[in-house]
Amino acid sequence: MTKNNAATSGLEQPNLKIGYMPLSDSLPLLVADDLGFFAREGLSVELQQEVSWANIRDKVLVGHLDAAQMLAPMLLATHLGIGGLRKPMQTAFAMGLNGNAFTIANNLAAELTATGISDISGNAEQALDAVKIVISQRKAENKPTLIFAIVFPFSIHNFLLRDWLASAGINPDSDVQLVVLPPSQMVDHLALQHIDGFFAGAPWNTVAIQRGVGECLVSGPDLWSNAPDKVLGTTQQWANDNPNTLNSMIRALYQACAWADANRDDAAKLLAKRIHLPVDAVQPALSGKFVYRKRQPATQVDDMLVFNRYHANYPWPEHAQWFLTQMQRWGWAANDLDNNAIVNECYATATYRAALADQALPPTSHQLRFDIQQAWELDDKVMGATGFKYR
Amino acid sequence: MSLDDPQISSASSSLKIMLVDDQPARAAILEQALTDAGCTVVARLSSAQGLMKRVEEHQPDAIIIDIESPDRDMLEHMSVLNQHNPKPVIMFSDEDDSSTIEKAIRAGVSAYIVDGLNPKRVKSIMDVAIARFREFQALRGELEKTKNQLADRKLLDEAKSLLMKHKNLNEEEAYHAMRKMAMDRGQRIVDVAKNIISVMNLLND
Repeated sequence: MTKNNAATSGLEQPNLKIGYMPLSDSLPLLVADDLGFFAREGLSVELQQEVSWANIRDKVLVGHLDAAQMLAPMLLATHLGIGGLRKPMQTAFAMGLNGNAFTIANNLAAELTATGISDISGNAEQALDAVKIVISQRKAENKPTLIFAIVFPFSIHNFLLRDWLASAGINPDSDVQLVVLPPSQMVDHLALQHIDGFFAGAPWNTVAIQRGVGECLVSGPDLWSNAPDKVLGTTQQWANDNPNTLNSMIRALYQACAWADANRDDAAKLLAKRIHLPVDAVQPALSGKFVYRKRQPATQVDDMLVFNRYHANYPWPEHAQWFLTQMQRWGWAANDLDNNAIVNECYATATYRAALADQALPPTSHQLRFDIQQAWELDDKVMGATGFKYR
Repeated sequence: MSLDDPQISSASSSLKIMLVDDQPARAAILEQALTDAGCTVVARLSSAQGLMKRVEEHQPDAIIIDIESPDRDMLEHMSVLNQHNPKPVIMFSDEDDSSTIEKAIRAGVSAYIVDGLNPKRVKSIMDVAIARFREFQALRGELEKTKNQLADRKLLDEAKSLLMKHKNLNEEEAYHAMRKMAMDRGQRIVDVAKNIISVMNLLND
């Protein structure tokens, strides 16, 4: 208990409002609240569920929320003032890895099967070949363009889907149509055939599959194992004004993440209760026993949703670098930005290390699966002169 | 903030505005106010269904949307998609007008404005929207209060007549008896009334 006293003594602001979206990866906040990890750090936290990422951003900016679960690329975009308000932002804590998947409508699944390419589900390359064939067929037959939904423009969902499509020379802006929908509406829009697929986080892929309105084509880890997604975001001002409170928040969430990794069944029950969905719907992403298609046996997708292991909570600068270069790749951010400086400002690695000095700390660098230079060269090679003109 | 301010009227004379609000009453109030301020409300949508098409069709200068609408993220995406077009929609203006934004969030309204629009015009539209959203909030609060008062009144009357009938009291005595009980117990008189009704009904069953 002495440690707690030390931790709570210098809290600038023990009463906090933290925003979140009702998704599986909001679990660290729910666990920290429910199991008392916040309280043990001397924090009294009011969790506020929000309906849009835009709301979360705006409320953090004007101080209606102290901190929030944020899409990491949204935090960077806000810092740069892309597509909206500009305010210096910061994160010192990533809320986990993976959790996402690309689910397609039954109709599109049938079209993909008809291409004759077998064994496509969960196989990123084969699935993409089939998608490419269907896109050309649809063009030749004057059929409507495929419409895929994502959750926000500045999101891993958008970046990963675009990168995947582009790797086969599919132009994500003209060969398909990308739209934004709230995660909780994805399943209904898929059922109503407003969209042909969606790239979203757990549990919505499983909900669609269980309702029989679609099947998972590829999971997030099929495209990038251990991809970053949400972070705990604050304004830089808030982080500067409340260093001890931020430390305590990081410590509480780290404990919550470790608990969530170690207690998957209990975590599923807690999550189901808090986001008002059946345990069956939230279980697959948490257990990794992921069902791609209804009535098919589960496939073990290791690390379908990671909360703590592999230093998942460290705000890896390499992740921010990747996000920034993707924004530049697609023409949303200027090419002459000082990316290193931006990453240093936004990803407060020293804060993380200081707050968790008694834990196993991560190495200082991280090998990314993606090489941005390679991706750009591929854009040029595949698309040639008529291709992507974003840079 | 007055709508009669001629400066606001002339400044926003030709602005085309689209409203996205699932509360038709509020949208109607806001449409009237914006029209009075010299704006043209080109469309009023109750959800973002078909929003992109309507935006292409009408090319609004501003989109005003309920902050609790989950469709906001769709607008965020549009503003990114349309950045190479002549009329991109962005959040508020280039000005970092935090106080307007703060007020807007408090009132529950957000807006998307085409790039390059005069910040003063943006502010005048926002002020109109904020004022109407607040007014609606207040109206709804009043309505809720009136409804509750009516319900309370009914409970009091019912409890009073039960007392009059079963305890042989006149109206004034019944009312005083209830008020005394409320004071003695530190309860609201309406809670005493509820209690009397349930007890009396139990006895009569």
